[in-house]
Amino acid sequence: MLEVHGLTAGYGGNPVLEDVRIEIGRGKLVGLLGANNAGKSTFINCLSGVVPASSGRILFEGEDITRLSPKSRVERGIIQVPEGRLVFPDMSVRENLLLGGVNATARPRRAERIDYVLDLLPRLKERIGQAAGTLSGGEQQMLAIGRGLVAEPRLLMLDEPSLGLAPRFVQYVFEIIDKLHADGLTVLLVEQNLNLTLRHSDYCYVLERGRVVVEGVSAHVKDDPRTKSAYLGL
Amino acid sequence: MDELLQALAQGFLVGSTYGLLALGMGLIYSVSGLVNFAHGDFFSLGMYLCFALFSAFALDPYVSLVITLPAMMLIGAGVYQFLIRPIAGHHLLMVIQLTLGLALLVQNGILMVFGGQFERTPSIVESKLVLLGPVVVRMPHVIACLASFGIAAALYVLLRSTDWGRAIRSVHQNAKAAALMGIDVGRVRMLTFAAGLGLLAIAAALIVPGTPMHPSLGLRYTVITLIVMVLGGMTNFVGIMLAGLVIGISEALGTIYLSDMLGMLMPYLIFVVIMLLRPQGLLKAA
Amino acid sequence: MKSEFFTVLRSPVFWGAIILLALGPFVLPSYYLHIATLTLIYIALASSWNIVGGIGGQISLAHSLFVGTGAVLSSALLLKLGINMWLGMVIAALVSGLMGAIISFIDFRFRLGHLSFALITLAFAEMGEIIVIGTEALGGASGLFLPKDKGDLLAFQFGSGAGIFWVMLTLAVGAILINLAVLNLPLGFYLRTIRDNEAAAQAIGVNILRNKTIAMVISAMFTSVIGTAYARYLTFVDPYQLASPVLTVEIVLIATVGGLGKAFGPALGAVLLIPLGEILRGKLGGSLPGLHYFVYGAVVIAVILATPRGLLPALQSRLASWRGSAKSEAKKPSIAAPGA
Ligand SMILES: Nc1ncnc2c1ncn2[C@@H]1O[C@H](COP(=O)(O)OP(=O)(O)OP(=O)(O)O)[C@@H](O)[C@H]1O
Ligand SMILES: [Mg+2]
Repeated sequence: MLEVHGLTAGYGGNPVLEDVRIEIGRGKLVGLLGANNAGKSTFINCLSGVVPASSGRILFEGEDITRLSPKSRVERGIIQVPEGRLVFPDMSVRENLLLGGVNATARPRRAERIDYVLDLLPRLKERIGQAAGTLSGGEQQMLAIGRGLVAEPRLLMLDEPSLGLAPRFVQYVFEIIDKLHADGLTVLLVEQNLNLTLRHSDYCYVLERGRVVVEGVSAHVKDDPRTKSAYLGL
Repeated sequence: MDELLQALAQGFLVGSTYGLLALGMGLIYSVSGLVNFAHGDFFSLGMYLCFALFSAFALDPYVSLVITLPAMMLIGAGVYQFLIRPIAGHHLLMVIQLTLGLALLVQNGILMVFGGQFERTPSIVESKLVLLGPVVVRMPHVIACLASFGIAAALYVLLRSTDWGRAIRSVHQNAKAAALMGIDVGRVRMLTFAAGLGLLAIAAALIVPGTPMHPSLGLRYTVITLIVMVLGGMTNFVGIMLAGLVIGISEALGTIYLSDMLGMLMPYLIFVVIMLLRPQGLLKAA
Repeated sequence: MKSEFFTVLRSPVFWGAIILLALGPFVLPSYYLHIATLTLIYIALASSWNIVGGIGGQISLAHSLFVGTGAVLSSALLLKLGINMWLGMVIAALVSGLMGAIISFIDFRFRLGHLSFALITLAFAEMGEIIVIGTEALGGASGLFLPKDKGDLLAFQFGSGAGIFWVMLTLAVGAILINLAVLNLPLGFYLRTIRDNEAAAQAIGVNILRNKTIAMVISAMFTSVIGTAYARYLTFVDPYQLASPVLTVEIVLIATVGGLGKAFGPALGAVLLIPLGEILRGKLGGSLPGLHYFVYGAVVIAVILATPRGLLPALQSRLASWRGSAKSEAKKPSIAAPGA
């Protein structure tokens, strides 16, 4: 479904990603692991188009989307749930969800999608009129995921959804991801939480200082000594 | 007593147009975090466009809006795209300085084309008076006031309950997240800037009948607008209209009960005091 | 960098240039002498503003208040009360300094952000103009006329032409030297620290109120003195010119074009813009009033878009890299990316 070839990117001349090659098959749950500053968010932002690629190619269902605007990518169903949730704090839960479906592709079926999301995440239903900024961290993460789901993703990219959550909530987030995966959604899960991610994903990449150092079926990645070293920054 | 009522009515009517002026600025600020120090000069430009259309084709200001509205919006889009966007990421001070330069440019562009004498643009309704009990007010003021509140209400609804409005607010609250929703942030900002200048074109058509105008008045309009916007809480449109009324009424009362000079000082004094005591504006920011 | 102040003080180029300039009145025809005088006034004004706005990074839009006080108050004291203009100059400077201190205090006490500071100072400036125009004792809307300049030094008269030119030259050089001094004193270091990160400055124990106030008071008082001299030069003290916030805008933009925070930046801005503006006004002002300000506006916008930090830093780095490449590849020009 998604193929990335030789992707290089950075900020103001400092390269952050170098020659990254990744493939995500339809319906797979792929993990992307790495320590702080490895370049995980940069990578996911490249896929969303908010950080430009300086070289390399991104193919989505065979189409070259490397130079497309963020808007066109969202319309093709490449949806990111960003690090730190980034909900719209002064808007209600409902308005946040409405904005999730504001793009041209999702707009026609937005109401049904919102109903679906509210069924999936009943906590949001209770808070529907509340300003997003006043939600708890866990609830905000629910909202960020819900907002992404309203957009009718074909590829859902989650950037550290468990960050800063209580263990109970982390568990819950992974349950939801599993459920989406089971329903056939393609998911790219960016995480620092090594064990949980390896347990839940089909395939994993480990990023270290902007390069893929380990990749493979999750069970193998787990045993690869380079995975640990990438984490400890050795 | 009649004098008091007269002053209150006058202040109310004028204040509502201050509110309208500040709505345009608040709209721009709310998506770009940009304070446009050329705002008053663009307002002047709108008035002079009315004047030019009247001089050339005897168009009534209300009618000339058909031309000035799109013209000003086009100017707004161009200014945003070519001047402001390139320095968007820079320090706030840089943007202030750029718009100060723009103010000088527009003000003196007007001066070059129209000369430095006071001008007036009449309208068919200009000399009509309206009697409200003991109070006498001019027709254009009544029209301006009603239109201002009408526009403010429409804008409020638009921002609250349409996708367009939500897109604007989302860009304000978190531009990156807005981009991830598939909103074209640059385009929203450009269109809002254009809309802000469009509001100025409307304000100009409403205020111009019978109002003396001079190229050098732009900066003063900017300052009054800024005062109203800040008092209103920058992006709170209800607060902005309220602040417009407060300023308009205090100006009118000051002029009648104190002196011309103190009346003119009143908005500034109120501004400074409220700024210091309630920096978040009259109402809480929305 | 540290001893830039003394380098300049000892620099023969600097003093040579001043002596050369001082010879101006002997060679320049009166029209060009007028332009030169005006340029010096704006060098002085923009450099004074730079202490607060450039080095301190606070966009003060209140400086027309200080120019206005220096010009209008001293003239009014002379005309209405017969107070010698030298004394008037001192009184006006003290009043300006006091206003500056009050503004600083308000800024500090209420923790104004950049935008609020710009707005409040602009509001003060507007109030100043309205008060002058509304107060008969200060000349009101019609302004004040100073007596003809007969060259009586004791009466703050310098003789038209050469005398006032030298006064302005002194003020301009003085303003630049104050900038250099401030930059090289601890004050300058503190101000830059505050400008770059106020919270961090406070954390390392920089006294924010004290340093900002000192900068503002110096700037205000010197600006006021320039205002008095400017009034003397113009003879007609027009509130719409000397107490108008537009004057501040002009000063701010001149400093911006030249380069904020640099000792010679504002001077460069004035040298470029004032003669350009005056010549345009002289040639075309009759048929196209406002053209020179129009061009200012255009130049300012162009400069901000092209080199956001102003012309002087741009020229310096150009020069540095040119020198670097001229001196062969022995040493790489050291334009390292900041904060890498
Ligand atoms: N907007 C930006 N501008 C400049 N540099 C950036 C920017 N965003 C990230 N970087 C730099 O790029 C590098 C990679 O950052 P990135 O956010 O991609 O890492 P990450 O793997 O997501 O880390 P984390 O686990 O902490 O989220 C870092 O060194 C960071 O400082
Ligand atoms: Mg990250």
